[in-house]
Amino acid sequence: MELVDKIIKGERAAIAKAITLVESSKDTDQQISRELISELIKKPGKSIRVGFSGPPGVGKSTFIESFGSYLVSQNYKLGILAIDPSSQITGGSILGDKTRMVEISKNPNTFIRSTPSRGTLGGISMGTREASIILDAAGYDFIFIETVGVGQSEIVASNLVDIFTLIVGPGSGDELQGIKKGITEYADIFIVNKNDGELKMEASKTAADYKSALSYYKKLDALEKQVLLVSAIEQTGMEDVIKTINQIIDQNKLKGIFDERRADQLEYWIEEEVKNIIASDITKRLTSKGNIPKYSEKVMKNEMSMYEAVETITKDTLKQ
Amino acid sequence: MTNKSNNGFNTWQKSFEKETKKNFSDAKSETDEGIDIKPVYTRDDLENFSFVENNSLPGQWPYTRGPKASMYTNRPWTIRQYAGFSTAEESNEFYKKNLESGQKGLSVAFDLPTHRGYDSDDDLVMGDVGKAGVAIDTVEDMKILFNNIPLDQMSVSMTMNGAVLPVLASFIVAGEEQGVDKSLLSGTIQNDILKEFMVRNTYIYPPEPSMKIVADIIEFTSKEMPKFNSISISGYHMQEAGADNVLELAYTLADGMEYVRAAMSKGLDVDDFAPRLSFFFAIGTDFFMEIAKLRAARTLWAKIMKNFGAKNERSLILRTHCQTSGVSLTEKDPYNNIIRTSYEALSAILGGTQSLHTNSFDEAIALPTDESARIARNTQLILQNETGVTKTVDPLAGSYFVENLTEELSKKAWDIITEIEELGGMTKAVKAGIPKLKIEESATKKQAKVDSGSRVVVGVNKYKNPKEPSVDVRVIDNNRVRDDQIKKIQAIKKSRDTKAVEKALTNLTNAAKDETNLLIPCIEAIKLRATVGEVSKALEQVYGRHFAKSLSVSGVYGKHFEGDEEFMKVESKIKEFENLNGRRPRVLVVKMGQDGHDRGAKIVATSFADMGFDVDMGPLFQSPKDVAKDAIENDVHAIGVSTLAAGHKTLVPELMKGLKEIDPKSKIIVFVGGIIPEQDYEFLYENNVSAIFGPGSNIIESAEKVIDLISDNLSKE
Repeated sequence: MELVDKIIKGERAAIAKAITLVESSKDTDQQISRELISELIKKPGKSIRVGFSGPPGVGKSTFIESFGSYLVSQNYKLGILAIDPSSQITGGSILGDKTRMVEISKNPNTFIRSTPSRGTLGGISMGTREASIILDAAGYDFIFIETVGVGQSEIVASNLVDIFTLIVGPGSGDELQGIKKGITEYADIFIVNKNDGELKMEASKTAADYKSALSYYKKLDALEKQVLLVSAIEQTGMEDVIKTINQIIDQNKLKGIFDERRADQLEYWIEEEVKNIIASDITKRLTSKGNIPKYSEKVMKNEMSMYEAVETITKDTLKQ
Repeated sequence: MTNKSNNGFNTWQKSFEKETKKNFSDAKSETDEGIDIKPVYTRDDLENFSFVENNSLPGQWPYTRGPKASMYTNRPWTIRQYAGFSTAEESNEFYKKNLESGQKGLSVAFDLPTHRGYDSDDDLVMGDVGKAGVAIDTVEDMKILFNNIPLDQMSVSMTMNGAVLPVLASFIVAGEEQGVDKSLLSGTIQNDILKEFMVRNTYIYPPEPSMKIVADIIEFTSKEMPKFNSISISGYHMQEAGADNVLELAYTLADGMEYVRAAMSKGLDVDDFAPRLSFFFAIGTDFFMEIAKLRAARTLWAKIMKNFGAKNERSLILRTHCQTSGVSLTEKDPYNNIIRTSYEALSAILGGTQSLHTNSFDEAIALPTDESARIARNTQLILQNETGVTKTVDPLAGSYFVENLTEELSKKAWDIITEIEELGGMTKAVKAGIPKLKIEESATKKQAKVDSGSRVVVGVNKYKNPKEPSVDVRVIDNNRVRDDQIKKIQAIKKSRDTKAVEKALTNLTNAAKDETNLLIPCIEAIKLRATVGEVSKALEQVYGRHFAKSLSVSGVYGKHFEGDEEFMKVESKIKEFENLNGRRPRVLVVKMGQDGHDRGAKIVATSFADMGFDVDMGPLFQSPKDVAKDAIENDVHAIGVSTLAAGHKTLVPELMKGLKEIDPKSKIIVFVGGIIPEQDYEFLYENNVSAIFGPGSNIIESAEKVIDLISDNLSKE
């Protein structure tokens, strides 16, 4: 495929077109997209995929601008997939993430793509995994996946990355009780942002609260969770973040956890794809046979119970 | 309340209902401000006032009727036309001509690079030098600007907010080198940074250090320059950005309160500086509302300053400059603008302004020509000399309607001011982005009213001129201006004492680290011929440059079009597009260069999104190259360039080049909107621009054109 070569050469326009293909809802695009990903997956790069999530207002984009600038200054190539939360049910989206990534968006060693979430689970399902495969093949050292923290989306996002980071603001320690055990399990690093100005005291206190709360889970987990203090505005703490990421990655590789995770994620992906195909097949059959309206009418007329209807429809649909 | 005890009123009401076939209680019309205007007002409408005092007199508490007892009967308002373009030499010629033709005060417009603290030779400002104002790089430029204009006799107003320190310093040094001591300089520096964060975006540093600079200037001028207004607290740009009159009034006064606090925190007594605070409002087409706004502003400010403990009467008095609305000007049928501006000018006069700028009719298209500037100036000369409006002070006092409107506006504005105060003041509100968002919401509503035809704009959405007149415009060759400026900078850099300049700049950087007044080391550096850009960078080292967060509204525009056929047509075209192409049409909306007026871009973004486009917003102040990268990475179908500062002739070809550099086969469509003289259309089309939308373009029609262009373009593949 010509597109494959161009992606591997790192041609910006080719990468962009490829991401459009994997995000497209058009059948023919999906067909090409599958061929493309099959090719690219045979030529993996060496990128580390890092997930960033956190509640709105903690300065995620500002942190990414700041941290990204640091990485680029260290000669790393950086790809960013930003899932923009500003979606509407009707109408299109306004993708404003890049207004907060002024410096890194200019840098020739970055590739930044925003995707409207369209109200799905943090927008992850539509093509984000495939987009990260494209950026990996194109030679990016780090791939950031930025999502907005709305509970479930972190878990979905953590299934796409090698290391998962939760960004929180000062004073959020009180909400610790609200943080589900699930998320602390999935997150590898907690970053307390806004460690600057008037909020400095509050930020250190929050970090301490997180540390003590997380020590609970230490025994349950194979790995120790890290809590870091940063200021995206003052650009402090960035070396710590990269150092910690590299440490965790090295450690995970050594212990085999890195590969284990990727294997789990592959399994999850395959399962998801199979489920999707089956689901869409079943949906087609259901529609073509017209059983649902037929039997629901019978239920309405008290000719059979709801459960009897379900059983009958299921048997009939699964019958080849 | 209607007068129930009055038989006369009941009879009137019956006649009214018979004539109109409407219930009196339904016969109200709502203004943009959410005020219900009744078809008739009576003496009863003068009751239960909490702000306006009936029977008050001009020049007396609460100053509703004017800051002075005699007002225009003694001396008419100052005709102060805002102007400036290209080099200092050319602007100086223009000023001198205007002064000979009856203009009384000067008002300097600076170009965008100067505003943002960049020298003309900086790569970032390629398209902007000398475009929307005059380029000032060093004190030498400032001296040329006022060549043969004695600064001890001429009051000079300077619209400068970002680079206030080097510009005010240059003005002081220019005066000094003309032989005029700073204590004799009169005029105003705008120095109103808060509204820059809300609407105009020509800031340099973050809000807190910017507020410190404002306070430094207030402190310095209150001690050293007794005839100089230290600040011009401006609502003008808010209305231009789409704020209704209540928002403009409330946010301007709330800004004023924040500046008073900033100055007091420097240890100044309120009466030391308050008499030299001045204001600046926009006057739009809502005739009586604008009059009421000026009267309400004075009433509220007196109350506010009393609360601050002001004892000097002059501290209580709000003095203001006004300018007719730029946003009310239309590109279509442009001679209508002369008429609009005349009514707006009359509003400002009936409201009691101290000075006035009347816009030239061609300002929706380009900078004024000598001829259009003359008509604009004559609008005021005719008002002063032919109409008799100067003969009576506050002639609308006692009008049931105007007094009631003054009270209503005061009340609504006071509520907003109270809200802001509860939030902790305007700096905090601005940092949280609240005023910006409210103004954008108001702007989007106004645009939707025009596009849906529920608001008539003559010559634009009704009574269109079948034969659009062609108008000559002033053309600025910014490449020539830039070359001239660069030569001047190079010459100065060669002849000055470089070591001394470097030392002065280091002193300035150090001063920024502690609490000393920055204007003093700044004057030293400027005297030694440091450039505006160098001074700005010396401070930037400590403060950093500010980048604004961009929030946006959604759903506001679409709400006005529920069931609208045109709107639904575009919506369905977009759905069709999505089915065919597997995604929505995607458009990147950008501003390029140093032009920070983003109202148009924001309105386009939110309304396009409401119709179903996916809209990428670029950050402000992007270079064409950055925009090309952004567009290609996000694989957008089209780029919409919003331009209001005339940089398009340089920036658009650069963008085209940038796109081809990254992707020689790029199929991305480019359309341009904003202030574009017709003379430039051909140039832009030759540079492969697909569509051009001037001021007053209907957004739904524009959106339809864009979706059609995108579809055509894709089908060619």
